Amino acid sequence: MTLDELLQRACVWHARSGAPPLTGMSSGYAALDAILPGGGWPCSGLTEILSADTGIGALRLVLPTLARLSQEGRWIIWVAPPHVPYSPALLGHGLDLTRVLVVDLPEDESRTRVQALWAYEQALRFGDCGAALLWLDALSNLRLRRLQIAAEAGSTWGLVFRPVSRAAQPSPAPLRLEIEALVDPLPGAVASPAALRVNVRKARGAQAGLHCQLEL
Amino acid sequence: MPHSLPSMTTFRAAMPAPIRPVDDARPATRTLPAAALWLHIHLPQLPLEILTRGMAQNRACVLVQGEGNRRKVLMANTRAATLGIRAGMPVGAAHALGELLELERNPRAEQHALENLGLWAMQLTPLVSLVPPDGVLLEVRGSLRLFHGLDGLLARLRQGLKQLGYRAQYAVAPTPLAATLLARGTTHSVVQDVHELGRHLGGLPLDVLRLAPSEQDALESIGVRSLGECRRLSRADLARRLSPALLDTFDRLYGQTRDPRPTMAAPELFEASLELPWEVRNAQTLVTAGERLLLELQGYLRAHAAMTRHLHWRLSNGTRYEEGFDIRLTHPTRDHDHMLLLLRETLMRMTLKEPVTALELKVDELVRGNPSMEADLFGVRHQAQGEAYASFLDRLRSRCGAQALRAMELQSDHRPEAAWRWRENDEPARRGGMKTLFSDGLNTRPVWLVKEPVTLPTQHGVPQLDGPLRLVPARERIDTGWWDERGLARDYFIARTSRGSRLWVYKELDGEQRWRLHGVFE
Repeated sequence: MTLDELLQRACVWHARSGAPPLTGMSSGYAALDAILPGGGWPCSGLTEILSADTGIGALRLVLPTLARLSQEGRWIIWVAPPHVPYSPALLGHGLDLTRVLVVDLPEDESRTRVQALWAYEQALRFGDCGAALLWLDALSNLRLRRLQIAAEAGSTWGLVFRPVSRAAQPSPAPLRLEIEALVDPLPGAVASPAALRVNVRKARGAQAGLHCQLEL
Repeated sequence: MPHSLPSMTTFRAAMPAPIRPVDDARPATRTLPAAALWLHIHLPQLPLEILTRGMAQNRACVLVQGEGNRRKVLMANTRAATLGIRAGMPVGAAHALGELLELERNPRAEQHALENLGLWAMQLTPLVSLVPPDGVLLEVRGSLRLFHGLDGLLARLRQGLKQLGYRAQYAVAPTPLAATLLARGTTHSVVQDVHELGRHLGGLPLDVLRLAPSEQDALESIGVRSLGECRRLSRADLARRLSPALLDTFDRLYGQTRDPRPTMAAPELFEASLELPWEVRNAQTLVTAGERLLLELQGYLRAHAAMTRHLHWRLSNGTRYEEGFDIRLTHPTRDHDHMLLLLRETLMRMTLKEPVTALELKVDELVRGNPSMEADLFGVRHQAQGEAYASFLDRLRSRCGAQALRAMELQSDHRPEAAWRWRENDEPARRGGMKTLFSDGLNTRPVWLVKEPVTLPTQHGVPQLDGPLRLVPARERIDTGWWDERGLARDYFIARTSRGSRLWVYKELDGEQRWRLHGVFE
């Protein structure tokens, strides 16, 4: 590996140069790109998205990028998703369904958790995978570190969706975002499209604490 | 002696007679084609090893022969030998030296193991013949270039035999019989020149010829103990004292007459089994045993320039219990490591109802040459990428089960639950088709579908989830499917909880008119 290649990796940045080079994949939302290190989602490594409730838009944040990756022929692998990813909607968001793979494990079986983690790590290490998605609440720091290494090794974007209650737990993921729904102040009115507030809780090589508001 | 050459006729009379030294350089009646080079693999411990090579740990084992009080140790493995146990020892005495596992010979399994070793050896040369009960003979001249010379070939052989779990002696010689005798009497001899044979063979004891006991006695009674001494007898003497067959043996040995060997023909399907020395329930032990069979399979596939995508495994315990399982591969392969990995994952996932004592592997579908890379279940087209993906899929399947891996596709149906489906294994990917129907799917269809719709409680006619749901006034009526059993009539709404989650709910238009949660927007 040459020095230049090494510097291209998300794990290395120049101490003096301030902001890392703009190597991120555009999220499709200008306001979000503006607060993400590298001007977009990282190409590899873990990204944790912590959300207060399911269904408030965590997945919508990443769908435009997932769509583009799938159109480029990279695999999008969903490991043990909480519900069935609904293909008509995925297609509507531009995903190439022939590049979508779901690892569907039986719920409430004791070894499901272990298998999900194993399958997720395999997906991260598998070089042709563009993004691997995982929904798990409890994850040890050690396990997260392992997954981070796997994601770096496979040059895969690892997305981990967790509840916001896990925000206080330290994490080796280079990027951690916290999202909350902006509930309309007036009862009776229904906000559609949804509105979200995104906080950068941790961003390696960039400033944490930035936030933005998005209408999805 | 367990072995004797059945072709040797018995020797009748043994009269002492003067021994005249004979000139060693007899005129050669016929010269062999200079090209032939024979390699004999001799497996001195085969009867014992076929019973123990499935073991992961090293335990002292002996092969026992005889009845009742006269039972004797026929062979002892290295562990038993370190305890001081030797062949010929009474079994009782052996037991006094340490803890032992007693095993009985299984001649059918020995024959089968030898055949499988022959099949395995076909990756080294197509010219393989068996020398029962414990030898395999290869003609290797034609393969030397492939393995970068004899040393390369022998290195490959040594490595392979070790992996298969056999302790072997081998020898290389210009005549097949010389290779056989050298392999039995020495370790790793290599003689390339036919004129050197006399020097190397001369010192070998008569045992290596495997004569009938009476023939060997006859020779020993006249002071002949080695091949060299035997050869110094005159031909007339030899013929008179022993059978003419022995003369012929010597002629073949020194290359003075032709010694054609039938070559083994490989069957069109691969079948191998391994006996386990005791009842096994532990998956890791079975993996170790299975690895041996996979190595044999790899040799067989190499010899056929073939690959496979379907392995049939069978575990059994005599006739009492039997369990079969298949391992299917996304792409044909003969990669031992990959197949072993899949075997391990599959075995780790299995629960054996009873311990087993034998493992069998059968492969009956061979794929020759390069497999065509048709777009398969997951639309894999590009070769190199396809292989990485195939191996990734195979690993996931064997660890998590075939049902755990899914791809999806759309169906032409307005019913939300029928508008998509999981794609079956081995079904080719379909592209396009339904894209137009849901081109507005961005905001009218949820990203998640709840597997079983959840009935929501209501208060004053308003569905509740974390308090009352707020509904977007626009409704979508889906009233369809009257033509089959699964007709439905629903009004769908987008709803929002007090905490900001966006949901897809519907109200039944008939029956109980329940409110149900069917999807989650993001």
